[in-house]
Amino acid sequence: MAVIDLEGLEVRLGNRVVLDALTGALEGRAIGLLGPNGAGKSTLINTLLGFYPPTRGTARVFGLDAYRDRAQIRGKIGYMPENDSFIGNMSGVAFVRYMAELAGLPRREALERAHEALFYVGLGEVRYRVVNSYSLGMKQLIKLAQALAHGPRLLILDEPTNGLDPVARQRMIQLIGEIGRQGDVRILISSHLLRDIDEICDEVLILKAGRIVALSNIERERRSNRSFVELETMELLPHSTDRFAAAARARGCECACFPAGRIKLVLPDNTESRDLYRLASEHGLEIRRLHQRRDSLEDIFLRAMDGGSAIVGAPEAAATEDARRPTHAGL
Amino acid sequence: MPVYRHIYRPYSGRLTPAWSRSLVLTRYGLAEAWSSKITIALFTLCFLPVIVSLFGIYLVNNPLARVLLGAQRPQVFTIDAEFFLHDLQAQSWLALALASWVAPRLITFDLADNALPILLSHPISRFTYLLGKFLALFASLSVVTWIPCLLLFAYQGYSSPGAWASAHLGIAGGLFLGAVLWITLLSLLGLALSSWVKLRVVATGVIFAAVFVPAGVGAVVSAVLRTRWGFLLNVPVMMTLLWQRLLDAPGISGADLPTGAILLTLLLVCCVCLGVLNARIRAREVVHG
Repeated sequence: MAVIDLEGLEVRLGNRVVLDALTGALEGRAIGLLGPNGAGKSTLINTLLGFYPPTRGTARVFGLDAYRDRAQIRGKIGYMPENDSFIGNMSGVAFVRYMAELAGLPRREALERAHEALFYVGLGEVRYRVVNSYSLGMKQLIKLAQALAHGPRLLILDEPTNGLDPVARQRMIQLIGEIGRQGDVRILISSHLLRDIDEICDEVLILKAGRIVALSNIERERRSNRSFVELETMELLPHSTDRFAAAARARGCECACFPAGRIKLVLPDNTESRDLYRLASEHGLEIRRLHQRRDSLEDIFLRAMDGGSAIVGAPEAAATEDARRPTHAGL
Repeated sequence: MPVYRHIYRPYSGRLTPAWSRSLVLTRYGLAEAWSSKITIALFTLCFLPVIVSLFGIYLVNNPLARVLLGAQRPQVFTIDAEFFLHDLQAQSWLALALASWVAPRLITFDLADNALPILLSHPISRFTYLLGKFLALFASLSVVTWIPCLLLFAYQGYSSPGAWASAHLGIAGGLFLGAVLWITLLSLLGLALSSWVKLRVVATGVIFAAVFVPAGVGAVVSAVLRTRWGFLLNVPVMMTLLWQRLLDAPGISGADLPTGAILLTLLLVCCVCLGVLNARIRAREVVHG
């Protein structure tokens, strides 16, 4: 069963369409949610938590309807919001215990788990201090502790490294990665920092202007070990880049063009680097640099931002899923 | 995730029933409200009229005590509906002071630190959240209103000769109903204004102002337009009239309003408060546009 299943999800806030026809199944252990500001990441999280009702379509978490079954879903979720969100005049342990009790843990167990969660995230020594006296990094950690205390099945982290210094960021990333590896917890992490997602996630959903522009299994991409060629070119004739790209595609290459003459290609088996030089020469394009490299999350993200339409790919998923449904990325 | 091992472990123990979550909010709300020394001071102050009334009842029902105190007349005053009306009034206005201090402590901390997204991401609804806070305030106000009033009634019933209590059961019913109506209104008003204002001290002032400023406006309206309907803005007058009728006590207020109009106005105020709470108690604010 997919952790999160979206089917034509549309969310309007006022007259504004914030999420537009999102369709896809997220199955990874750690799912990254990427996109520029205003792309709809936080709205998607809020919809999954049942804060916003969908105006059309459905969102399912563990097979449960995100709005209709929100109480059940919230029992299975640990949520760490993006902004400061705590009760400042409570001690750390009282706050985490309170949240655990609200999640349904009996008083004694809640207290026990609160202590454990605080030690786990590294706040054991300051757990009796009031939350208002915590530093920014500690406040992020206590939000993580309260999200973990009741033992959720899905951890939703909205910009967990926001405002952290490099050391604290590394510690947070390490912790989240550890949680993903150790327990039965699935993680949905929203961030605008590609590095965070790259380090933690095995699947990424990229949003742009409320639409899915890429849904990619990073792990599968890494495993596929496909040969990418990155070119830096200069046009000798007008529109030669476009003509070169068209010719490359005709030969079976997957091709994406970027500003400043950068072109990325995936070469099929029957094409070699020297074929590219020949094609470029035929179409009036000068190749100034060529280097072969593996695809990265940054590439997927940049391509998605550049293209705007959904990037789909994984053959096994594409074969079984609806044609409308973006699955796993190619290129 | 045992403390000494520092590893994460999922929770597989039993869970409390969903209905009990509002009581968790009530418990933590009460703990927060009663952690303040000012709450304790106000609470203590609320019992001063009760102690005076208790002494009065003792004095009325104990001729020997009257003689020892040197009272000349055989009966200083009588314990009747009017006596309990004054008691209820005193307790109710002290309850306003307590509510104006306690209500902001229940809500504003959550709003000031933006705790609602975290609180409401747990398996509780907005209704459960409000019910929990309402119960905390209602319970605190009950302790200083109908509970001491009914205890005074019970003491009078116990002290007086004959079947006084059974003959005056209407007073007990009136005390209970009058106090419950008032503290329900106070609780909703206190929570609504606290959720609207956010700043604790300002919220306390606004709760007082919400009761007394419209009363002034109502008095002006009544005087200028020579109409009794201006008193519908005057909560103290309306409540006094309502309590008089519930206890069947002689009129102590010069104003006269139909009971239906008073109840309708109170209902309207409650609906407005619920509307404010519905708008303010949200995990996320929806920006229209």
